[in-house]
Amino acid sequence: MTGQPYPEPAASPTATEAGREPSLRPARPRWRETLGLLARNPTAAGAATVLVLVALVAVFDQQLAPEGPNEISVEDRLQPPSTEHWFGTDDLGRDVLSRIILGASVSLRVGFTAVGIALVVGTLIGLLAGYYGKWVDDVLMRFMDVIFAFPAVLLAIAVLAVRGPGPTNTAIAIAVVYVPIFARVTRASVLGVREEVYVRASRSVGASDLRLLTRHILPNAAPPIIVQTSISLAFAVLAEAALSFLGLGTQPPNPSWGLMLAEGRGYIELAWWIAFFPGMAIFLVVLCFNLLGDGLRDVLDPRQRTAMGGGR
Amino acid sequence: MRAPRTLSSVAAGALLLTACSGGESVDTGGGGGGGGENVLVAAVSAQPDQLDPHVTSAYPSFQVLENVYDTLVVPNAEDLTMEPSLATGWETSEDGLTWTFTLRDDVTFHDGSEFDAADVVYSYNRIIDEQLNNAYRFATVESVEAVDPQTVEIRVTQPTPNLPALIGGFKGMAILPEGAADQVDLTTEAIGTGPFQLESSDAGSTVLTAYEDYWGGAPTVDGVEFRYITEPAAALTALQNGEVDWTDNIPPQQVSALESEEGVELQSIPSVDYWYMTMNYDRPPFDNRDVRRAVATAVDRAAVTEAARFEAAQPNQTAIPEDNFYASDYAPFDTNQDAARQLLEQSGVPLPIEMGLMVTDEFPETVTAAQVIASQLEPIGINVNVETLDFATWLDREAQGDFDAFMLGWLGNIDPFDYYHAQHITDGSSNYQGYSNPEVDRLLNEAATETDEDARRDLYNQAVQLIVDDVSYLYLYNPNVVQAWTPGLTGYQIRPDKAINFETVELP
Repeated sequence: MTGQPYPEPAASPTATEAGREPSLRPARPRWRETLGLLARNPTAAGAATVLVLVALVAVFDQQLAPEGPNEISVEDRLQPPSTEHWFGTDDLGRDVLSRIILGASVSLRVGFTAVGIALVVGTLIGLLAGYYGKWVDDVLMRFMDVIFAFPAVLLAIAVLAVRGPGPTNTAIAIAVVYVPIFARVTRASVLGVREEVYVRASRSVGASDLRLLTRHILPNAAPPIIVQTSISLAFAVLAEAALSFLGLGTQPPNPSWGLMLAEGRGYIELAWWIAFFPGMAIFLVVLCFNLLGDGLRDVLDPRQRTAMGGGR
Repeated sequence: MRAPRTLSSVAAGALLLTACSGGESVDTGGGGGGGGENVLVAAVSAQPDQLDPHVTSAYPSFQVLENVYDTLVVPNAEDLTMEPSLATGWETSEDGLTWTFTLRDDVTFHDGSEFDAADVVYSYNRIIDEQLNNAYRFATVESVEAVDPQTVEIRVTQPTPNLPALIGGFKGMAILPEGAADQVDLTTEAIGTGPFQLESSDAGSTVLTAYEDYWGGAPTVDGVEFRYITEPAAALTALQNGEVDWTDNIPPQQVSALESEEGVELQSIPSVDYWYMTMNYDRPPFDNRDVRRAVATAVDRAAVTEAARFEAAQPNQTAIPEDNFYASDYAPFDTNQDAARQLLEQSGVPLPIEMGLMVTDEFPETVTAAQVIASQLEPIGINVNVETLDFATWLDREAQGDFDAFMLGWLGNIDPFDYYHAQHITDGSSNYQGYSNPEVDRLLNEAATETDEDARRDLYNQAVQLIVDDVSYLYLYNPNVVQAWTPGLTGYQIRPDKAINFETVELP
C-alpha cells in the first residue's frame, strides 16, 4: 500500500452543499455510547473499576499508607502478615503494604508517562506516514522498523545503560520501545480511513491537510489506537517492574513493585509475603489493563458494536 | 590487598559465562571424577577467572588454587600465625635485614620435576620483575637468592617483621617450577606442588585429581570437583539433596535456621574480613571532622550488621576482629542521635547535607546496609542518596575520587599491616578517601618495621585510635565465614581466612 498515489479528486458533480462537510462522521455522543456498551461488558467494567481504585490509591498514597516507605526497623524484620502489618514486613522491617501503596504511584506514573510519550510520538509518525505515503512513509516506517527490530526489554536496557537508571529514564526507555508499535497501528488505521468517501469528499471541497487529519482521519482511525493504549499500559507497568527487578529502574530505597519483587526473591523460602504481594499487585494491574483493552476492542469494533447494540 | 575488590568484578564475568553455557555444563564434571565414588563435590559461587596464581585476584580462583599450589609458609588454621610448608624453617639476621629459609628436600611438582631453591627465586622474581598483582608484598625486598638447593636468602631494605605473612598469606605467592610461564599457559594449566593436580576447568566445573606423590602424604579423596552454582538457594538445595558435599554459598538469612537442621552440618566462625564506610576528604562538607564524627555517632552498627548479615557478623568500631592478637577494644562511638545533631550544629555546616552513598549490587549487602545507614542519617539532617552501581563503574569512580561516600569491605587480611597501612597512610595505594594525619603516618611506618610483637601492637593500637577518631574509615562489622557440608564428612577445617583445603577430607 505504501506510496500509492491518491486518486485525483475529479470535479465531482455529486458534491452538494459546498462549504459544508458531509456529516458521515458519527455524531457527538459516540463516546457515551461506547461507555454504555463497556458498562454492559462485565469483565471490562470490572477491570476498569479495579484500575480506577488503583489510580485512587496511587493519588492518595501518602494518606493511605499506614507507614512511610523507608521506616526501617531491623528488629521488626520479616514479620508475617498480621493485623499490625497486613502484608507483613520485609528484610529491613519496612511495612510491605505501605510500600505497595507508595509503589503504585511509581508504577502507574512511569506507565502513563511512557505510554503517553509513545502515544503522542507514535501516533504523529503513523499519521504522517499513512497520510502522505511515498517517501515520507518509507523514511519514517523504515526508521520505526529499525527500532522495532530490537527485542523490547533489551532496547530499554540499552537506553537505560546510556541514560542511567531512574524513574524518568525508565519512562523514556519504555516509550522508545512503544513508539514503533503506535506508529504501525496508527498508520495501518489511517491507510484504511484516508480512502473513505467522506475524506475524499472533504478534500474535494478544499479542506486543508491539517483539517483532514485532525477532523476526519484521526477520530476515525482512533479505535485501534485506544485499544493499543490500554494494552500498552499493561506492558509498560510490566516493563517498569522488569527493569526495576534488574536494578535499572527505580533505585533503592524507593519503593517499586518490581524492585520489591527482586528484594523479596532471596527470602522466598523464609518470608513469602515480601515477594508475593508486589507480585500480586503487578499481576492485578497488568491483567486489568489487558481485560480493559479486550473490552474496548469489542466495543469499538463497528461490527461487534452492531451485534452488541442489536442484542439489547 | 587488592584481591578483595577485583575478585568480584571477575566473578561477575564468570556468572555470565556459566549462565550462557548452562546447557553443556551438565556432564562435563562426570568424566573428571574418574568414575570413583570417592570424589568430593564442592558447590562454589563462580568460575575461576583464570588459574595463574600470580596474576589472578579472584577468590573463586583461589578456592581451586589453594589445593593445587603451595607457598613457603602457610597461616595456621586456628590463629593464622605462620607455619612451615615448603620451607621447614627460617631465620632472621641480627639486623633484621636478611631472612634465610630452609626448604624441604622431598617435594616434587606435578610434572615430576624436583622442587629446589631455584624455583623459589624464579617465582618471586617473576612477581617482582613483571610487577604482578602482589609485587607490593615485596616492597621492602632487595634480592631473592639461592644459597644452595635447599636454602633461599631474602634480603630486605628495612626490617620487615611481617615477611612470612607477606609471602605466605595466600596462594597468590605460590611457588611455580622454574621457567613454568614460558613452558605452559598458566592461565589454563597448573603445575604445583599441592595435594591435587588440575584435571580440567571449563564453564561448568573445575576438576582436580589427587597427586599421589604429595609431600604431605597422598590426599584421602581421589579428587575434588568444584561446581559453580550462582544462586545461594540453589547451592543449598543441592547440598540438602546430596548432589554436592560442601558449599560456601549459603543465603545469610538461613544461617541460623540451618544451624539446628539435621541434614546439613553448618559452621559459622569469625573471618578476617571487615566492611566499612568512608567519606571523601576532598569534598566538602565531608572534609569537616565534626560532620564525619556526627555520621559515625548516628550510625547504629548493630542494626546495620543485623540487616546486612543477620547473626553471621559482629559489629566492630575498628577493623581487626576481637579474638585477634592485634585487636583493639577501642569503641568511642555510642549510637546517639542527639549527640550527632550537636556535632553537626558545632560544625557550622548548613543543613540538610546531601550525601551520595556509593554501593554496588555486586555485593548486595552494601545495598542493604546503605539503606539502613540512610534511614539513620536522615533524622539528623543528612539526606543520603543511595547510588547503586555496577562494580566496574564503582571502582572507576572510587579511583577518580568521584564520590561523597562509599561502602565496601577488605577481605583476607592476615597482618595488621594488611588492615591499616595502605588504607590510611598519606597517599597510600588504598587511601581513596584522601586521609592524611602525620601522627598516623609516623605510627604506621614505625609499626611496619617494629620487630617486637607487643610494641608493634601498641603502635597499631595508637594509630587505630586516631583513625577511628578522625573517621578515616567508619568501621561497621566483621562477617563470619559460613560454610556447610554434608553430615558425616570429616577431616575438613573451616578457616578464618576462607582458604579451603580438601586433602584430608573423608567422605561419609
